[in-house]
Amino acid sequence: MRRPYALSVAIAAALALAACQRVDNTAGAPTVYIDPGTSGPVKGVGIESQDVIAMTDQMLRDMLSQPRLANAAMPPNVIIDSEYFHNESSSRLNKNSITDRLRVGLNRAAAGRMQFVGRHYADMVAKERDLKRQGTVDKATLPAAGAQKGGDYRLGGRITSLDSRDPKTGMMQRYNQIIFEMVDLETSEIVWSGIYEFAKAAQDDIIYR
Amino acid sequence: MRRLLAPVLGLLLLGGCASMEPAPHCDMSRISGQRDLVPGPAMVPGESSPLKEMPMNSVNITDPAIMNKLYVRSIAARRTATGTVEVVAQVVNCTDFQQTAEARTQFYDSTGVASEPVSAWQRLHLSPRTSSAYRELSMGDKTVDGYMIEMRETK
Repeated sequence: MRRPYALSVAIAAALALAACQRVDNTAGAPTVYIDPGTSGPVKGVGIESQDVIAMTDQMLRDMLSQPRLANAAMPPNVIIDSEYFHNESSSRLNKNSITDRLRVGLNRAAAGRMQFVGRHYADMVAKERDLKRQGTVDKATLPAAGAQKGGDYRLGGRITSLDSRDPKTGMMQRYNQIIFEMVDLETSEIVWSGIYEFAKAAQDDIIYR
Repeated sequence: MRRLLAPVLGLLLLGGCASMEPAPHCDMSRISGQRDLVPGPAMVPGESSPLKEMPMNSVNITDPAIMNKLYVRSIAARRTATGTVEVVAQVVNCTDFQQTAEARTQFYDSTGVASEPVSAWQRLHLSPRTSSAYRELSMGDKTVDGYMIEMRETK
């Protein structure tokens, strides 16, 4: 009589243990942090973090597959900043968030296949070069260069949009088009182009700051 | 005899009116049967892993919401002129409705370690009963040896 009882207890314990060892397939603790690569709880029709991440990721991967940019005998000097990247859309955004992410991502991934010129730091470099040459500061450790690096290619581009609204429902729709072009700084030839486009529709536009 | 003739004639007429379902026809039970999970990387060499996952160089639909709606018809990978890897997956929408999915790719080196950051989620708009191509490029060239694509529904 005792044996079946002991056996049933052991089986029950094993079953209970097995139930405990299943995947706890429940939601995690709530947090204020959200994945910037996925749309968050505040969604609108404008350009958002997931769009910036997706477009820059797509562009940099495409640039690295172009032999003229990423497989040249001499790695080209590339300037990527927002100087010639214009926002003509109805989205309020800091265009530096696009060009900065593109430059940083490309610089980290290129691994010597391209060289990057910080033209937006040209003033900072010129001031330090002057101080060194005037003897105000010492020559530091790196050998002196004849001049700052010139660029072979520079990024240009444009953000445009097309808005439409249904006055009856308040529904708003926006088509966003972002073009990226790499321009030869000697001939003005466009050596690479990329386009990223999407349309969004929402009941009411949210406020972008 | 006459009594039997009328229903048979009716059935024949009904058969003639039956509408033809447009392609593609996705047999989800067979698709599920073909799904082959393989052991994941073990923490200690030589020991079996408690993780079972999709094999390398495949598409893993991670979202149950679209598992029985989409079918990955083919996957191909090739080297670009700069040596980076381009993967292309052909995805079929088996339903009569518009579906929106998104996919991303992780590229791996020959030791099975992620060779670069995972790609950003890329949206796929799939019209009813059509196929679309998902393309992704690696950042690295010679370091890339394998890949894994994850797909989920766009929320």
